[in-house]
Amino acid sequence: MDTDTRLAGEKAKAGTPIGVSYEGRDPDLLGQILPVVRYIEVTPETIAEIRGDEIHLSPEVLSELKDIGKDARIIVHGVGLSIGSHEGCSNTYLRLLDELLEHVDVAWHSEHLGYTKVDGEHLGIMLALPKTAAVLDMVCERVSAIQNRYKLPFLLENIVHVIPDYPGDYSDAAFLNALAARTGCGLILDIYNLECDAHNQRFDVASFLDELQLEYVRELHVACGVEDNGFLLDVHSQLTRPSTIELAKLALSEATCNAEVVVYEFMPEAVPGLGREKISQELSRLRTAFQH
Amino acid sequence: MQLAAHQRKLLDLIRSGRVPDRSDDPYIQRVAASDDLKEAQRNIFLWRVYVLERTAPLTFTVLKQRELLRSAIGEFIGTCNVSPFRETQAPAFLDLMSRHDDSLVASVAQFELAFLRVRQGDAGHFVVRWNLEPTTILNELARGLPVSIDAPRGDYQVVISRELPYQFKVISPPSAHVAASPLENPTRCAVASLG
Repeated sequence: MDTDTRLAGEKAKAGTPIGVSYEGRDPDLLGQILPVVRYIEVTPETIAEIRGDEIHLSPEVLSELKDIGKDARIIVHGVGLSIGSHEGCSNTYLRLLDELLEHVDVAWHSEHLGYTKVDGEHLGIMLALPKTAAVLDMVCERVSAIQNRYKLPFLLENIVHVIPDYPGDYSDAAFLNALAARTGCGLILDIYNLECDAHNQRFDVASFLDELQLEYVRELHVACGVEDNGFLLDVHSQLTRPSTIELAKLALSEATCNAEVVVYEFMPEAVPGLGREKISQELSRLRTAFQH
Repeated sequence: MQLAAHQRKLLDLIRSGRVPDRSDDPYIQRVAASDDLKEAQRNIFLWRVYVLERTAPLTFTVLKQRELLRSAIGEFIGTCNVSPFRETQAPAFLDLMSRHDDSLVASVAQFELAFLRVRQGDAGHFVVRWNLEPTTILNELARGLPVSIDAPRGDYQVVISRELPYQFKVISPPSAHVAASPLENPTRCAVASLG
């Protein structure tokens, strides 16, 4: 038996642990999810609150996160860094991350490979970057700066393409491969985003996965949104579909894939609709799915 | 491709709905003509709906009941530079709605904004004027019920302050025959339970 086959067999036997997004202030939900997960994903923007003219992290949630640290690893997943904005990253986001890392022990942190603001004006949505050599240079430089600043593993996620792609120098997978190879950053493979792209943009997921060097992938994301006007929306409001789980299992089955966790994401606004018990059941279902 | 120019043009297409001209490159023209752009704009709209339904529930409900929600959120997206920080969205939205032409929407938004500030520790003393009896209306909105179109008219005030036992009280005009004491006002319970 060769090494790859042996490693794949060992991974399949042990399974990939489950993580879940959690935004604090919901002890009932936390009580139901903690027994099932090994990682809690936190988004700084959603645990921030306004004090006067400033934004700070909620002391109440920070305290909660410190307590969680006894039962699960905390991973940070931001949405407001805007690493691809021509004018630079968001300093507000970086300040919040400083504050979070000062108080909470974090396994790694991550963001999205895209941008949410232009000249300080917020788009209201996240856009993918043109995959050109110049943009790759710019992003690599920013990733290196972040790595130097925090001395923690940093991961970037493939995002949904909400508008047609700019014709660039790289394919999506080649751009991610080059970014990871040049900077040493890890990747988050968001399975639901791939499904959205396949549905909305006729994106070829199989070719993407064939080309992506899965050894850079440290984390998988699964989620589900709703369909609107024939488009699949990235809104994280539903339980995962069987197709998402199967695609995640396919990626995990590759011997080279280094994913350490599969995170189920849902937005806090979805909790009343989904129900805490259903969320807990979903996590148990995912844990079972990724153990075999 | 200059990244700054590229991103500025996409911002204009998405936020302002700018129509490209012949000087724009073919890519920008392709995006402008695509269904994807319309769906991206709708996606932005839906994200605002999801967040504001939770963070500004009274104003959201009164707008929805008066069929003003779509135009209100459209104005919010078009005119306010709203960051991805969820907590900034409700104050910005309520501030905008506080100046709404519909006086009931404006009163509800002013009340909700003041209540939000007081709950966040603001030591200020806020007074919101109403030309409809607020107790019943706030109670109905807090419970997701249709607002009473036949609520008594008059020069009412709602005072919001952290010094008050329930952080707000309703002051009725002398001629009104409705509950004025916050201790007897059922609205306080419903509104206080909004989280």
